[in-house]
Amino acid sequence: MDYSKTLRNNNKIYSRSSSQKQNQQYSSDFSLRFVFAGNERYDIGKRHLSIYPDSFLILNRGTQYSTDTDSDIPVQSFSISFDQQFLKDFKDCWTTADSRLVGRGGYKVKQLQEFDETIYPFTGDIRHNVYHLKHYLDNGMHDELLINEYLHHCLINYFSIYNEEIFKKAEKLHFLNPSTKIEILRRLNLAKEYLYSNYNQNISLEDLAEHSCLSVNHLLRTFKQAFNLTPHQFLIQLRLKRAQLLLKSTAYPINEVVNLIGFECPSSFIRLFKTHYKITPLKYRQTA
Amino acid sequence: MKLKYIPVFAEDADAQISFYTQKLGFNPISNMFFAEGEEYTVLKADNLDVALVVGGNAFKSCIILNTDDCLKDYHLYKTAGVFFSTVPRYLPTGLAAEFLDPSGNRFILLEERNYTEI
Repeated sequence: MDYSKTLRNNNKIYSRSSSQKQNQQYSSDFSLRFVFAGNERYDIGKRHLSIYPDSFLILNRGTQYSTDTDSDIPVQSFSISFDQQFLKDFKDCWTTADSRLVGRGGYKVKQLQEFDETIYPFTGDIRHNVYHLKHYLDNGMHDELLINEYLHHCLINYFSIYNEEIFKKAEKLHFLNPSTKIEILRRLNLAKEYLYSNYNQNISLEDLAEHSCLSVNHLLRTFKQAFNLTPHQFLIQLRLKRAQLLLKSTAYPINEVVNLIGFECPSSFIRLFKTHYKITPLKYRQTA
Repeated sequence: MKLKYIPVFAEDADAQISFYTQKLGFNPISNMFFAEGEEYTVLKADNLDVALVVGGNAFKSCIILNTDDCLKDYHLYKTAGVFFSTVPRYLPTGLAAEFLDPSGNRFILLEERNYTEI
């Protein structure tokens, strides 16, 4: 369904069912970007980020971007942009209410003017809340108080994801200086978003290292420290997860799915899928 | 066998019944005796299989109302004038908010969430 809503407090919600190419534009406010089907590519400077239904992107106020799509499946995109005042009020009440987000190294979200603009996993509470919000709006309802309640909860969820994905992961890195930890994690997130966006390509470690501005050795060591997985393991898990999505939501034959997620050999895919999920892809599709 | 009636404690049965009907959307169905000399009012909501019964000598209860969308129903009840003792909070089970009825029975509005699916 296509609609765009601007609330009285200037929060905005857009839903589009077919994504057309959009030329360079500025995001005027902090926004969260989702897709519910297909995928959408965001070009931010030299970075090309693709979001799929299992991940979402955040854009800070003033970021210049353009969007495009290259998938055969019709794209269902959904985005929420928050008014600055709404965001500020939220931050104030959230950070003073209790110390939920005070990381153990003395970092505080309060001090953050900008968020790390990267791809985050779209799972857990934020997924439920955004689905409810979309469902509510799709049915043509429009109670601003309730919509703002949903948006408030999306921010709560986003802040806890941020805590989980940035502060806790940075904590795990073996560096003494807190700002070094944050900087290395920012670069590791560049590597991670590269994997998220190019998961179906042949990615060499050199490409990945170059993209994240780290040396290969440094990348391997710190990636494992932060995410408990090597880049290769991370990529395999991502491919398997997206294979699950494709198996569940499309009718592509298994061989096609194998190609789509970037595996070369169906039998190795089936073996990996089975060891990982204790079920064969075909049986998974039948039960899903 | 099935679970059909849940007795709730009432200090003032009339106030209790009007709270359930006006704010929570229950309808009084009938009056019934569940024990000798104890008359209860049976209240049903359209979408629930079990009925609340008010009156007699019930004890204070804790009632968990399951919902598909906790935020929506929280908002709906709040607009109807229910005073919540907690805002919706995240639990390992899902999202839940709590309120008390006029006699102090505890209600939990719970949305169970499946966190294992992708």
